[in-house]
Amino acid sequence: MYEGLSSPNIHTPKNLSEYATVILHYPTSSLWAGGTFIMSRPDSYPSRKMNAEIIYLGDIEELHRFQRNDRFAEFGAMVTLDEILSTGKAVLPGALIENIQKIGSRLITRRATIGGTIATKDFTTSFPGTLIALDATAEVRFIKKKRLHSRWLQITRLLDKSGRIVLPPQGMISRVRIAFIEKNCQYFKEVGSFMLDPENSVAVAFTAMLDQDILINPKIAFTYPTHGVCYSRDIDNIFSSLRFPVYDEELNTLESMIFTFIESSFQNISPLQKTRTRVLLYEIIDALNEETLTIPTEER
Amino acid sequence: MKIDCTIDGKTLTLSLNSDKPLSLILRDNTGDNDTVNHCNGAMCGLCTVLVDGKVMLSCMVPAFEIRGKNVTTFESFRKSKNMKDIEKAYESVGSYPCPECYASRSLIFESLIDEGITNPEEILKELSIVKCPCMDPEDEIMIVRRGIEIRRKRNVRRSQFA
Repeated sequence: MYEGLSSPNIHTPKNLSEYATVILHYPTSSLWAGGTFIMSRPDSYPSRKMNAEIIYLGDIEELHRFQRNDRFAEFGAMVTLDEILSTGKAVLPGALIENIQKIGSRLITRRATIGGTIATKDFTTSFPGTLIALDATAEVRFIKKKRLHSRWLQITRLLDKSGRIVLPPQGMISRVRIAFIEKNCQYFKEVGSFMLDPENSVAVAFTAMLDQDILINPKIAFTYPTHGVCYSRDIDNIFSSLRFPVYDEELNTLESMIFTFIESSFQNISPLQKTRTRVLLYEIIDALNEETLTIPTEER
Repeated sequence: MKIDCTIDGKTLTLSLNSDKPLSLILRDNTGDNDTVNHCNGAMCGLCTVLVDGKVMLSCMVPAFEIRGKNVTTFESFRKSKNMKDIEKAYESVGSYPCPECYASRSLIFESLIDEGITNPEEILKELSIVKCPCMDPEDEIMIVRRGIEIRRKRNVRRSQFA
């Protein structure tokens, strides 16, 4: 139908040095991993950009590697979510497994890649939030002085002030490292559909070590697909200062502090998103209260 | 961009936009209007095809990814022996998908039977991509399990004759 109008040029580098050559020649090219997000946009075809250049990362062998030791698992950016689930279901953190399973059908997880879920343009999937809660790090490759450099960064370091994942110019994520943390409280929940109803959906990822009635190293990240990830060390610190079970008064204070931060970061989240965020927060607190109250008093 | 691929057993050289979705290629370039839908990314699950034997949503596959690949649509799959197994499973369970999702569900059933997946959760999760409510989840699980049995028997018979 639109043949020849604006057919993008496809580059298929076979390794990272070829990728570096291509990105140096075509610095404005778009990176294509699994394509699940790009292809699911209603205006994805025909391409509106004239002379678009696409670099398809699927043929780069290095990005398909997966390795694991007793401390962490390391995935190449092109490892699919289905491969992650099948290789590491027993050892990977529960929050990550829950997040992948929430996507549903393997028709999607077989194509979606870990790198692609982090580096979506103008949209935030639920994965960056989960990876932040899990203290994951990513290897970012970028061009500097006409050479390809790499650097390991925590996912939190990739967030800009508005909560979006931002990579250096001509940068890409090549590997993601997820530590096998021994946190006994891991929670992931997504309300609404990120792909079909992004304006109203919310996801939360929470991890912590519950020791008697206090939380050690808690991390909580709320994700709003059209806005970004809401993560702050201040909120984590509030959680650290709590003693469980938390009662109504403390909960109200916690809620108002969290909402003050969310509203200062994202001015226009929808009323439904606010309600859903509140419900998710209450669910986490209820789960933690329940956990604390089921521990025998002599052990507390 | 020129792309060589095999669609329903025919080797074709297609001249098309490199990012054109496979669902549109099948509709515009091969005239397959019956079984393939283009939902503009709403993930309706009705555009499934087999690419190198693996079930995929054709609206998610760009043209440049089918280079050198073998695409099978329901139009040719319905004539295969594997489809006969699935039809037998439908008949034995006494439940059929509606005409709207028949092609898509049958291809997903084929992938589940081929992989030998019997876990009810996995079966339902795989089929959850098809939003059509025409089938009972229990029937879906039964169809897959029955299909696996039928396929196994056929393979045993074939190996005895060989």
